[in-house]
Amino acid sequence: MTGRQFASRLLELLVVLLGVSIIVFLMIRLIPGDAVAIMLGANAEITPERLLELRTRLGLDQPLPVQYLQWMGAALQGDFGTSIWTGRPITSEIAANIWPTLELSFLAILLGAGLSVPLGCFMASARGSVSELAVRMGAIAGLTIPSFWLGIVMIFLAASWFPGISTIGYVPFLEDPLGNLQRMALPVIALSLPMLANLSRLVRSAMLDALSQDYIRTARAKGVSPRGIVYHHALRNALIPFVTSVGVSAGYLLGGSIVIEQVFAIPGLGRLVLGAITERNYPLVQATILVMTFAFVIVNFIVDLLYLVIDPRVAHR
Amino acid sequence: MNVAEPWRFLARNRLLSFAVLLVLLQVLLALLAPVLGFQDPYHQVMVQRMKPPGELNLLGTDHLGRDVLSRIVYGYRSSLLTCSVAVLLALLTGGTLGLLAGFHRGWFDRIVMRIMDIFFAFPIMLLAIGVIAILGPGLWGAALAISIVYTPIFARLLRAPALIVCESDYVMSARAVGASDSRILFRHVLPNLMSLILVQTSLLLSAAVLVEASLSFLGLGAQPPVPSLGLALSEGRNFLMLSPWPAVFSGLAILFLSFGFNLLGDALRDTLDPRLRGHE
Amino acid sequence: MKKRAFPLVPALLLGAGSLFLSSAHAATLDIAIDSSPAGLDPHLITAFNSVVIVQSTVYEGLTRIDKDLSVVPGLATRWSVSEDGKRYEFKLPEGVTFHDGSALDAEDVAASIRRVQSEAIASPLASRVTPITSMDVLDATTIALNLDEPFAAILSSLSGIAIVPAELETDKQALQQTPVGTGPFQFDNWQPNSHISLTKFDGYREAGLPKIDEVKVHFVPESATRQVGIGSGEYDLLPAIDPATALQLQANPTVTLQTTRDVAYTLLGMNTSRPPLDQAPVRRAINHLLNRQDIINGALFGAGVPAGPLSPALATWALDTQEYECYQTDADKARALLEQAGIDTPIKLSLLVLPRQDARDIAQVIQQQLAAGGFEIELLNKEIGEFVQDWRNSDFDLFVSANGGSPDPDEYFYRTFRSGGSTNVFQYSDADIDTWLDEGRKRVEPAQRKAAYDKVQSKLACEGPVAHLAYSDMTTAVGSKVSGFEILSTGRLASLVRASVVD
Repeated sequence: MTGRQFASRLLELLVVLLGVSIIVFLMIRLIPGDAVAIMLGANAEITPERLLELRTRLGLDQPLPVQYLQWMGAALQGDFGTSIWTGRPITSEIAANIWPTLELSFLAILLGAGLSVPLGCFMASARGSVSELAVRMGAIAGLTIPSFWLGIVMIFLAASWFPGISTIGYVPFLEDPLGNLQRMALPVIALSLPMLANLSRLVRSAMLDALSQDYIRTARAKGVSPRGIVYHHALRNALIPFVTSVGVSAGYLLGGSIVIEQVFAIPGLGRLVLGAITERNYPLVQATILVMTFAFVIVNFIVDLLYLVIDPRVAHR
Repeated sequence: MNVAEPWRFLARNRLLSFAVLLVLLQVLLALLAPVLGFQDPYHQVMVQRMKPPGELNLLGTDHLGRDVLSRIVYGYRSSLLTCSVAVLLALLTGGTLGLLAGFHRGWFDRIVMRIMDIFFAFPIMLLAIGVIAILGPGLWGAALAISIVYTPIFARLLRAPALIVCESDYVMSARAVGASDSRILFRHVLPNLMSLILVQTSLLLSAAVLVEASLSFLGLGAQPPVPSLGLALSEGRNFLMLSPWPAVFSGLAILFLSFGFNLLGDALRDTLDPRLRGHE
Repeated sequence: MKKRAFPLVPALLLGAGSLFLSSAHAATLDIAIDSSPAGLDPHLITAFNSVVIVQSTVYEGLTRIDKDLSVVPGLATRWSVSEDGKRYEFKLPEGVTFHDGSALDAEDVAASIRRVQSEAIASPLASRVTPITSMDVLDATTIALNLDEPFAAILSSLSGIAIVPAELETDKQALQQTPVGTGPFQFDNWQPNSHISLTKFDGYREAGLPKIDEVKVHFVPESATRQVGIGSGEYDLLPAIDPATALQLQANPTVTLQTTRDVAYTLLGMNTSRPPLDQAPVRRAINHLLNRQDIINGALFGAGVPAGPLSPALATWALDTQEYECYQTDADKARALLEQAGIDTPIKLSLLVLPRQDARDIAQVIQQQLAAGGFEIELLNKEIGEFVQDWRNSDFDLFVSANGGSPDPDEYFYRTFRSGGSTNVFQYSDADIDTWLDEGRKRVEPAQRKAAYDKVQSKLACEGPVAHLAYSDMTTAVGSKVSGFEILSTGRLASLVRASVVD
């Protein structure tokens, strides 16, 4: 990867981040009716003074570009203002809720990506019309099963099979490692299943692809062991689409965690944004969407760079 | 592919015919629900609450004594309507933008595709939640959200092949004989992309069904008393131990619908476009 | 523009730091409720998820409502009433301190009541203390309240007025996040979206109490999750669970269900400023179309009783719903009433629905029931903020909602049905009702008050702006580790002070 490539990717990244931030910023201004009145909705009393106070607090009395610069400028310093309802700084609300989501996503990637390699290899070795069909159907089913449904079913099954084991809620890992993993097990499974289905199918076809390449045939003819063939040559080839796919999955995980956190009572960003919507806490909705989308964009940027490092051919696309 | 003989074509592709059958069955159920003699999905019979599957109600009844089967069939209707509108809208806007970008190149291409990149950067559920925060909960908010997220997917999908097709010899020659831009687009470029569009539409419909169900499950999509699969699941989970049927069957219905479209897209990809074929 | 800087990096470290926080394995009671509270200021909150956390645990009022809804001493050890019923003298115990260490005296009581009355604070509880015109702090432990006229319900009203430190009288922010009271538990920390932690207050005025070291209130949105959680011992107490969850927990041997009649009720509100709801016969017709038992069976899973204007929990006041002629479901009669009133059907109305599962179900059942009389009802499902806004602005035809009740009839009736009452969003105005309500308020003798409220109930039941639907059973699920907990119809967790947990 050359410096120029890196610079142009970085520029693309900045353009996307700028665009994302503008869209998120405009969100609150697109709300029909007076967003401020709606936000005050469930509070005790709406008075002109309180409306004015909140409007000023949100900076809505300024021209749009000024508002954007103020908002983004503060956001870059980690200041999203204060949550309308609780009066706490939004940044600290996000900070308090980010770890469960990160852990959930990390474990789901670990499980989904980790299991997909052996599963994909196994699937590639087991060829034949019936098993192929089963593999294909299974993978599609894994992709299309509603995760919230699966989650609820799993909670109830676990409750009747392993009564007394906590499968819901959240305790920090460092406080109670066993309890943490125990509670993470079901949501991680529910969240990683579609990823596993997707990735294992990808590994399988990449493996089959690689195995049919001339050099593998040559290697085989030369007497390299089958295991050696698979892991040495084929897997390396399968790596590129695999890494990309993991990056794209990050977006799915962030979205999927919204539903899964709700079902399993995990205090993460997904629940934060959902709660903020029902409370009409727009600054919090904005901030959470911005942070999560930035995270997604940056993860994909890194994947993109990795891609360039792994496979220099892409540079010429 | 020999389009003139669809039946023989399907007969040769058993997986594809299975997928077509699965999707067709569900779509027809939804379309023909009012004439197929299903019970009124809104009608409540309080003495018939939470009944298990039986003669009177093939899939049982929900907590308000409504027929689960007809709630599901009508749920297909609202889910399919929302998702098709969303995907079609995305196809029209995204597809048009992508084709034009590929066709015209230059600054138009650069600007459009950068904007598409930006929308593509949002995780779908988050963008949906943002749109719904603006519009308020409801099916149309969900549909709009889904279509906004899918627009860049279609734009990207059609831009690249449009670029290639436009450079191909037959388009060059069409241009040479003075064919207009729109004529080239409709007569030469689009038909060549049809299979790609079909595959992607089917796959995205599959995903849209899940997104719509998730949003309704979270209370951000369909609102009562509209029959909706996600809503039925969300209501049914509250009394799962008393009567699991409404939740179980609506969950299965979501799975079948999404599964059908995904399988269809997958099988179509294999059959229509050998270049995209995996090794299945 | 005032801004609080909160740099991202330290905030993240703070978050990471919370991973290290270890909780000693002391006697902890884990409670699960459905959502995080919007705030904890006792004078600003009305929502159940706020009230249940702090009222009677962190905060105490001068009086307290007991199990049988009678008024018993709270912070005040005793009180006396003047002959004319216009002056109440309360005696406070010695040596009581707030959680912040400052001593409680009569000045704090006066400041708390002024705080509720103040326009700047804009407390929704203000109407409960409007009759108080002045206060005399006689000494550090004695305070007298002067009323403009006799107001029998003042004692029960005062149970809802938390006593807070005097220096917070004008502070609108502090208590929302960090409550400070005199109750058995003190606020410890609030993990947004996760839980609120209360710890034992060592300086509590009753020696040896409370027995529990920590009360953790978890926010768990899914009822299925709460249900499984109490079965597995993850949670010890689910206050005021929905009827479906209660039914499903019945079979669980590790969970005890405590049930009482709720003073809260579900209702169908009608905007009497909008035709044809302005006509009493139309409101009567609507009552005839409702089948309350079906609503209870369908939406409340059978757990409740048909509601009149007052809860049967208020045994001395409430009339039997059998006495209301319009409670007989009779579609023919309803149609006849509408015809006599000269109303053309179909009658198109919209119905605003509180975003809660039971209200959504009730709305769907009502939609079908009213259809029998020629009503075409459109359901409007809104989020809580919008719902409250429309409700407050009287921007609705009909609404389905749930109300917390009060132990004294005046508290509910006066603000709701009196012309110009603070929660009379129906714009209802009836000269008879006004007269009777004033009478009930001024009389001190129970028999005279009862006579007035009997008339009020009879009239309101069929032609009032509210069709009272059902008083649900209030059920609290108690895990096997908990002993000594007792459910109260007010939904408050006052008995936690004497409860204990064993592992």
